[in-house]
Amino acid sequence: MHDRVIVLVEDNANDEELTLRAFRKSNIVNRVVVVRDGAEALDYFFCRGPHANRPAGEVVQVVLLDLKLPKVDGLDVLRALRADERTRLIPIVILTSSAEDQDLLRGYGLGANSYVRKPVDFTQFVEAVRQLGLYWLVINQAAPV
Amino acid sequence: MADDGTSSALVKRLRDGLRLVSTVAQAFAENTSDYRRLLAAIAYSIADAIPDTCIVLLKSGDTITVVAIDDAQPDAETRFRHMVDRSTPMAEAGISGRVLAGGPLFMPRIDYGALATHMAPSAVDLLKAADTTGMLVVPLASGGELIGVVWVLRHGAQHPPLDELDLEIVKDLANHAALAILNARLFQRLERSEQLRAAEERAVQASSLLDAIIENIPDMVFVKDADRLAFVRLNRAGEQLLGLSRGQLIGKTDFDLFPASQAEFFVAKDREALAATEVVDITEEPIQTPQGTRWLHTKKVPLCDAAGVPRYLLGISHDITERKHAIAELSAAKSIAEDANRELESFSYSVAHDLRTPLRAIDGFSLALAEDYGDRLDPEGRRYLARVREAAQRMAELIDDLLTLSRVTRSELRRDRVDLSAVAHTVLGALQRLEPDRRVETVIAAGLSADADPQLAAILLDNLLGNAWKFTAKTAAARIELGQTTVDGVVAWFVRDNGAGFDMAYRDKLFGVFQRLHPEAEFPGTGIGLATVARITQRHRGRIWADGRPGEGATFYFTLTESHA
Repeated sequence: MHDRVIVLVEDNANDEELTLRAFRKSNIVNRVVVVRDGAEALDYFFCRGPHANRPAGEVVQVVLLDLKLPKVDGLDVLRALRADERTRLIPIVILTSSAEDQDLLRGYGLGANSYVRKPVDFTQFVEAVRQLGLYWLVINQAAPV
Repeated sequence: MADDGTSSALVKRLRDGLRLVSTVAQAFAENTSDYRRLLAAIAYSIADAIPDTCIVLLKSGDTITVVAIDDAQPDAETRFRHMVDRSTPMAEAGISGRVLAGGPLFMPRIDYGALATHMAPSAVDLLKAADTTGMLVVPLASGGELIGVVWVLRHGAQHPPLDELDLEIVKDLANHAALAILNARLFQRLERSEQLRAAEERAVQASSLLDAIIENIPDMVFVKDADRLAFVRLNRAGEQLLGLSRGQLIGKTDFDLFPASQAEFFVAKDREALAATEVVDITEEPIQTPQGTRWLHTKKVPLCDAAGVPRYLLGISHDITERKHAIAELSAAKSIAEDANRELESFSYSVAHDLRTPLRAIDGFSLALAEDYGDRLDPEGRRYLARVREAAQRMAELIDDLLTLSRVTRSELRRDRVDLSAVAHTVLGALQRLEPDRRVETVIAAGLSADADPQLAAILLDNLLGNAWKFTAKTAAARIELGQTTVDGVVAWFVRDNGAGFDMAYRDKLFGVFQRLHPEAEFPGTGIGLATVARITQRHRGRIWADGRPGEGATFYFTLTESHA
């Protein structure tokens, strides 16, 4: 049986907690795996280091990827995931504070599926997360694994 | 000349003859400046004094030429007229030759039989045809110089035969004539040498003007011969540039003066210009000088002869070293500015990303507090939490607006056709969707189009129409208008509303950053929007101004091109 998880790549503890709260508020019950920097994200996806023994049944339903990350930048994580056969079809949503054109262009250019700017207003943030969850966890038909 | 009757007539003739000689001699002297006229006058005077025909021949080198003919009988003259300008080699000059060599010939009664041995048959026929009965031929000589002969012919029997007195008069006249001719020649020579001298002077003047021009051209001017490409000329600017006197340079080639690689380049370009017989423009070339490497912009021009064959190569070199350095400095400054811009960009990026993150925490946890622990707070406590969230959101707006202002300032301006009417419809449509309950009459003129940066124009209209929307919130029959007008010959657009308006006394404050004319509580806003709009019009070289009255609405005019007024 598959465990459909959401991977949240987020280094900021506040944002992490608020995002998890937003999931709860949006009644999203999927398990959320949190990784706190770009290097750990890659370890997770490629089952290395601390994530070498992650359960085989874990299927990533969607990745919420911050851009400004310690160690390995979010865009580099995106590039690495898109370059690898095992991860190239995973839906990746960039979830970031930046609305700079260059980030949007680079994000989409590297194959992000969606780009969402985190609103300051938490009510709006919850709404954004709810819609994301609705789309990527319910409506979207993922590529067969 | 024996009896008394004839002797008194003889005396009279003598007197007449002498008078004639003196007048004629004077006339000759007066005619020295016009050689041709002098010769005609000589022939005329002699023929007039001793009828009938006078022919003047002048020696020039090995030939003798008929230069003037005159005749007392007009039809007789026409008979000889064709002889004018006829030249005969001295060796075949017959009688003229003999007279020049041996002195006057006097034949008062022509013996045609004897004459035929001295003259060409055609000449004899000519004399016969004119019924020439007598002739005398005297040399034209002065100071031992033989210059020609004078023939006097008598035709028919109308006049008495030629006599010794006639001979003497003609000899006398011939002497004066010869002197006059020599004087005239001398005069002519003098005049010609004077003309030559004047022409020479003019040529010298012209050439010294050219020299002065070439010398004083502030660019290096040089000339090389087309064959060896050796220098034949260099001006002062060239001497200064190369640090060589023309004495050191003339006759040398580039290989004698510059490093081989440079010389090869110069010579290749020289050959190119000469081969193409066309100007070659070398926009940049280095040259080794005592002041180090200088950079030149050189034009090489082939100088061709009348047949189109290049004979010389003209070079004009403008020293662009300073300009090149200035350009290098400029590009260094530009790169510093670009670095600064990149820094600003990364700063803006940090502002966008890092400043918003804690705001999101403030807002998010305030809401979590209100949601999860609201029941433990009294209304005042919940109001405080609401104020915390409002403040956080307002700061987020401020950050966003500042980012927009900074983006408007640093982004590259790309002009395109912008349909302002369409943009306005989009903006007002979005505003209406955010506040579906508001009733605002919107009047957007159709087909307004501007040559502007589409993104910036959209931000501009977003701000102006957003303001109009905001400031008509408390107006009963709200109305917002976008239209076009002409100001100082330039198209201007305006956004007009009938909202809160403003006091014209404060119009200068409208476009400053963080300047507000209304309390925040009454009309929310960051005070950055109009500053952004003003920056956008500035970037388009246009301008913005406003007109308004408190309570009666406001009109904002803007242009997006330079005003020529």
